[in-house]
Amino acid sequence: MPSSLLFGINNEGRVYTLSTSGSMWRELPYNGQEFKKLSGVPHFLWGLGGDHQIYVYVHGLDIPIRIREESYENERWLPIEGFTSRLLPTDRFHFSNADGTADRSIDRIRLPSMAWQWEGDWQLELTLDGQPLDHNGWTYAVDFPSCYYSKKQWKSCVRRRLWVRTAKYCAMNTWCAIAPLHKDATSEPFIDISIGGQNVIGADPSTMLVWAVTSHNRVMFRSEVSTKLPEGTRWHHIQVPTGCEVGSISVGPSGLVWSSLLDGRALVRVGVSRETLQGDMWVEVRSPGDNLRITQLSVGNTSVWAVTQDNKIWFRKRMKREESSLSEEELAVGSGWIEMVGKMCHISATSNDQVFAVGAHDRVIYYRMGVCQEDLTGKRWRAIRAPLQVSRASSNASLGRDRFHRSLNQITSRPSSMIEQPNFSEFEEQSHSAPLAPTSLPTGDYKFETRLRNPKAWSPVHSVGSIVGTEVHPDADESIWNENSRDSCIFAEDEELEWAEYDTPWSWVEAGTCLMDISQFPNWFSESNDSAIQEEFGQSWRTNILNDLKTRLPDQDIYSLYESAIETTSWIHVGEARVNLNSQNFVDCILQLEWLQITGTLTILNSDGATTMHSFPLSDITCVQLTSDPGNSRLSLFTPRNNPAVVVLQFVSDVILEEWQSHFAITCGKLRDAQGRPSDESIWAVTNLGDIFVWDPTQLERNQLREDDFYIQKFDLRGKECPIKVALHVGCIPGTVLTLTGCIGDEAERLGINLEAPYTYKKNHKAFTELENMCLHINPRFSENCVVRNSMVDGKWGKEERDGKMPFSRSQEFNIRIESTEDAFIIFVNTEKYTTFRHRLPPHSACFLHLWGKMQPFKLIIRSPVLIVDPLEVYWRQLGGHLRRVESCNAGVIWGIGYDHTAWVYTEGWGGSFYGTLDSHNVYPMTDCQDYRVYENQRWNPVTGYTSSCLPTDRHMWSDASGRQKRIKEQVKLPTVHWQWISDWMVDFHVPGGVDKEGWQYAVDFPASYHSNKQFTDLVRRRRWYRRCVIASVGPWQELGHTKLLDVSLEPVNDNSNSEVSVWALASSGQVMFRVGTSRSNPTGHSWQHITTDQPFSSISCGPFNQVWAVGKKGCAYLRVGIKEDKLEGERWVCVEPPVGAQLKQVSVNSAGIWAIDALGRLNVRKEVSESFPEGTHWQSIYSSDLPVLNSASHTQSFKQVSVSKTDVWAVTNVGSVLRRIGLSTQNPGGSGWDIGITGNWQHISVRAFR
Amino acid sequence: MAHDREILREVWEGKLPVCFKLNPDEVVELQQPDPIYLMVPRLSYFPLVMDKVKKHFLKYITNDKQDQEMWLEYNGQPMKWHFPIGVLYDILVDTDNETLPWIVIVHYDKFPETQVYRFSNKEMVESYFMACLKESDVLKHRGQIVTSMQKRDHSQLWLGLQNDKFDQFWAVNRKLMEPSGDNEYFKYIPFRCYIDDSYKQKLVKPVTDEGKRKTLLDLLKETFPDKSSVKVKTHGMIPPLETPLQWMSEHLSYPDNFLHFSVI
Repeated sequence: MPSSLLFGINNEGRVYTLSTSGSMWRELPYNGQEFKKLSGVPHFLWGLGGDHQIYVYVHGLDIPIRIREESYENERWLPIEGFTSRLLPTDRFHFSNADGTADRSIDRIRLPSMAWQWEGDWQLELTLDGQPLDHNGWTYAVDFPSCYYSKKQWKSCVRRRLWVRTAKYCAMNTWCAIAPLHKDATSEPFIDISIGGQNVIGADPSTMLVWAVTSHNRVMFRSEVSTKLPEGTRWHHIQVPTGCEVGSISVGPSGLVWSSLLDGRALVRVGVSRETLQGDMWVEVRSPGDNLRITQLSVGNTSVWAVTQDNKIWFRKRMKREESSLSEEELAVGSGWIEMVGKMCHISATSNDQVFAVGAHDRVIYYRMGVCQEDLTGKRWRAIRAPLQVSRASSNASLGRDRFHRSLNQITSRPSSMIEQPNFSEFEEQSHSAPLAPTSLPTGDYKFETRLRNPKAWSPVHSVGSIVGTEVHPDADESIWNENSRDSCIFAEDEELEWAEYDTPWSWVEAGTCLMDISQFPNWFSESNDSAIQEEFGQSWRTNILNDLKTRLPDQDIYSLYESAIETTSWIHVGEARVNLNSQNFVDCILQLEWLQITGTLTILNSDGATTMHSFPLSDITCVQLTSDPGNSRLSLFTPRNNPAVVVLQFVSDVILEEWQSHFAITCGKLRDAQGRPSDESIWAVTNLGDIFVWDPTQLERNQLREDDFYIQKFDLRGKECPIKVALHVGCIPGTVLTLTGCIGDEAERLGINLEAPYTYKKNHKAFTELENMCLHINPRFSENCVVRNSMVDGKWGKEERDGKMPFSRSQEFNIRIESTEDAFIIFVNTEKYTTFRHRLPPHSACFLHLWGKMQPFKLIIRSPVLIVDPLEVYWRQLGGHLRRVESCNAGVIWGIGYDHTAWVYTEGWGGSFYGTLDSHNVYPMTDCQDYRVYENQRWNPVTGYTSSCLPTDRHMWSDASGRQKRIKEQVKLPTVHWQWISDWMVDFHVPGGVDKEGWQYAVDFPASYHSNKQFTDLVRRRRWYRRCVIASVGPWQELGHTKLLDVSLEPVNDNSNSEVSVWALASSGQVMFRVGTSRSNPTGHSWQHITTDQPFSSISCGPFNQVWAVGKKGCAYLRVGIKEDKLEGERWVCVEPPVGAQLKQVSVNSAGIWAIDALGRLNVRKEVSESFPEGTHWQSIYSSDLPVLNSASHTQSFKQVSVSKTDVWAVTNVGSVLRRIGLSTQNPGGSGWDIGITGNWQHISVRAFR
Repeated sequence: MAHDREILREVWEGKLPVCFKLNPDEVVELQQPDPIYLMVPRLSYFPLVMDKVKKHFLKYITNDKQDQEMWLEYNGQPMKWHFPIGVLYDILVDTDNETLPWIVIVHYDKFPETQVYRFSNKEMVESYFMACLKESDVLKHRGQIVTSMQKRDHSQLWLGLQNDKFDQFWAVNRKLMEPSGDNEYFKYIPFRCYIDDSYKQKLVKPVTDEGKRKTLLDLLKETFPDKSSVKVKTHGMIPPLETPLQWMSEHLSYPDNFLHFSVI
């Protein structure tokens, strides 16, 4: 859980905040406005000022709030004049919205309020569905409500183009006043304010609800408040029953509103739903007792707390869905008050029902311990004792100066946990033009005067506004764009501030902004012994003890030869399971894992326990992957060199599975020497189940034979019969030497020693023809007494070379050596140079050594100048955690993104999840969530309307998205025991294509396109249900912050070991961000910097530092230009067209090229990229669909993801195989074929750090 | 809470070089066997580290004696196997005059029944160890923690000790080292002060009635009210007298959760 903030107001009306990751109250910058009341949800705080006006404080957002205004300019073709702005009377407005129904004249589109600024001027949108348009941006159509094309045709009678302009909310991190109800602010000031409603079921997630009470005891509801429009638009008066005078109000996260009346009763607003956010009626609730008046209320998620005038606190019973018989209304109202211990004057509940209160007499903030879902009332009150930052301006400081230890060394002597991290950058970028509040409105402050004198400064949108001095012009205030201002932080790091363990008398606490994690309490209760522990580290007795302990054994070296007395390295683990060896069915078996000193064996016995089904050494295992289905606990062991290549084990429970999983992982890890932190060059991969794997190439490098500068592979071919094919995993790149020894048979006629390259495929009609390629063909012919050398390109032989004598003879041993150089193969026979053969195909593309004919090869030695990587042989080691993708770079900075788009940073640890504490280091708890979705399908029947009875040919009435699989809500199971449901099944109102009020989408027939409005022809409808579940895991990852990410890419700026790392990321809305200050020593970086784009992006990748490519949601590619060492964020985006007829989905850039996946699952590589022309000229598509070469990775149809390193390109296919592109060379940057790794249910791979 | 992993690790890693020699009278072969040199963990018990010794001397003794229990002698005294090795060393060896390795004589014959308990197998050591653990938990938490543990936790503790696995042991032992409930301190500090062939035990609280933290000095004063300036040794070092008791119990206890002090 990322840090969140608790807010409080002290007796002076100053606002303080306490972070869950910090331990000190810090004062919000004081600008002359005191506050009486606060109410907040994360990032949005509303306050009631001392002047009884309402203020908004938006804080801690990494991405600016922006709205995009669009206006279509429409023109019609007239016979003589051509296209003109004069339209027919029946036509739409000259400037209109997309469907032409509203006038959108651009000079009349104004900013919502003074807190907003335009970002630049109106601009033309120059793409249509990802394809670029010419520079005027016109799209043509026959008539208006029609399909628009990028090209003008003879029948095009109308055209339109899109103007866009974005506005930005610039009152971030500052109090922004909300316009008073009347021109005279004093005529009806406010007395209470409350915000909530961030979790209204089914509503847009950006929704927030704001309620207020005026001094006339009227209830006001603010319309259209959302994260996109933090101020909302206007106040609406909500009627209360006659005779009710409302004194205070509170709205909970679910939108439930409770208000207290001046006579002590309470009113509850019921009927709050996504359609009627303000509810539809009031229900009266009696006060807890006679003569008891409710003075204040706080609504949590499923609880309501109240304070009465005698400072007693009350908890409302039965607000929870325990009995299904309760109606919504009864749930909202609850059934009775319970008096709680303690006297409090103010109470506040968080969105997860945690409770904070201010003591009635001591004015201390208390936290209710032990509140959980089972016991919402909690156990006891515990005082929060966090020291307070006292600013000089505070009168408390001057009054009680003696009481503060005004010493800097107190700060330094503080335990480290007390020093707040400087990355408190949530409060970055203070606004400059926006609007500080007038100190006190009613007294006629000058700003207030200004407002009256200059009514034009008011926002054109009626009744909305912030109080500002002058009209804002986009370019008038340069400070907005001034880079330096970004560093400004509301919590200045100046040392003059005094820190004191001082209890201010509090008057208010606001917990709605705070998300308390019950399992990890913040360090707020500082009288606990934590601080004592911290102290102990510095004590002299501890130092003495540690030194004495360390020097107990003098001359350690002498005893290094002594054997250790305890060694237990042999053990055996036996258990029952079911096994699937032939990928058909599971049979009962007994597993026996035996570990002897340094080797291990897995034996699979039949269930009788006597006969063996299968047995192999643990060193054959390259990957142990969880492949559970819901309800079936399954583990796959990959042994790619064995038959079967995959052994699937099924266990009776997840607990037993994990026990085995940890045994396998630990033993295999020991065998492969994969322990500790994986090296910087590691390749990271993630499976569909969110498990994280890493392969460390240095471990292979250590184990591969070396001779001088060569990597050696030796093959013993004795006893094998020709034809033989040996895979060359790094091709025959210049520098490679192949040495083959063998014996030629007595009756040998023709022999073949071929260096084969991957086939090329030619498409004729629907089928592909395979065309053979051969880099080198050595063909001794004994009848002709010569050796023919040749090559084959696309199935056609080249020119034969047959000069030279015959060095081979029958029934004799031979030794042939092929050396690959830059321009030719040099062939040695029996150690004598025989001939050279100039390269006709790039030697990189050779992928097999093929031997045929009557000979018995003995031995083959491959000497390669680079590490020989066989993707089948790489050992995938699992690390804990649950992520959707992991991105690495060779500077040791690794980031992950969860399914819920949370960003995580690798802690350099290992272990976690099933490894337990024994083999873990630097691991932290982490969570992730996912939605399960099912579709409810119905068919229209002339008599009964829409029903769930269907035609026999129809899909299941409850199905998955495709309709092929039957899915019943009640039968959906969670994948493993670590998952938990956190919601009920709910109708999803945010389905692409739109839905009606009940969530239905309509269509003519089932596999069809769905729309939200029922039309005459529609015969079927469907709606989507979803249920959210959450996984709790442990892994070497730490959460980065609040901002949710879609994609991230990392690349160090230079080769220094602590080089700055460029981090480009996409926020979940598709906005681009650049992380400032990331390096190996600070892998989390410092703060986000937002980078403007006119399109939302879906994928981003940065290569060597000046190459940043991105893919827009509409399928266009974008290249960032103007990136320099001192300006890493670059200047602007240049649009690059996608491959013809395709929309790009994902891009990866590095020295090995610019590779992208399109929506059809094809892989594309950008060609003719050069220093001077970094955008290249065109895309080359690499076919994948129906390619026979990929049949060895069965059912491959498309590519899912690609990752590019300096020299390598690896991809993941739709069936989860991992592939490595071979034959990449400067002449042929697209490569020639694939080397196939295991089919491991992979979802994402990052090879960016690999060589 | 035992937070200070550095200390815990250092205590756990404490090892002694020991030279095991077979009693020359028991050798049946002509050739005297070589002594065996081993690094033994201070926190362990002798029966747990004898496997290699037994194997080493096996062929030098008569067959009928092979199944007999071994016993160890130092300086003419049989050693009590139920004390942790480090405790034995701290009690028995005068470190100022003796040098390492610690020379220990291995016997098969004439088991000193009167002075040493017999141990027929490792399970006996385990049950003795668990008994100590329970006793210490009674002192610290009225025995609540150890009884609420599961069997597998107990065996994890024991296996952790037996196999010299710090993490395995501490994963469970951590719970024993936490003050229970809302308390900040243990009820009593489990400790033993070895003096003159026996040991003293006493109920000592980690805090004074006024809530002040007690130190080692306070403990020694309470245990030996008649003596002044007592010095004790544990883990081969002399802990400073101002060390807080609660911290000592959390960090310097042997695996049986007792502090073992040898008075010098």
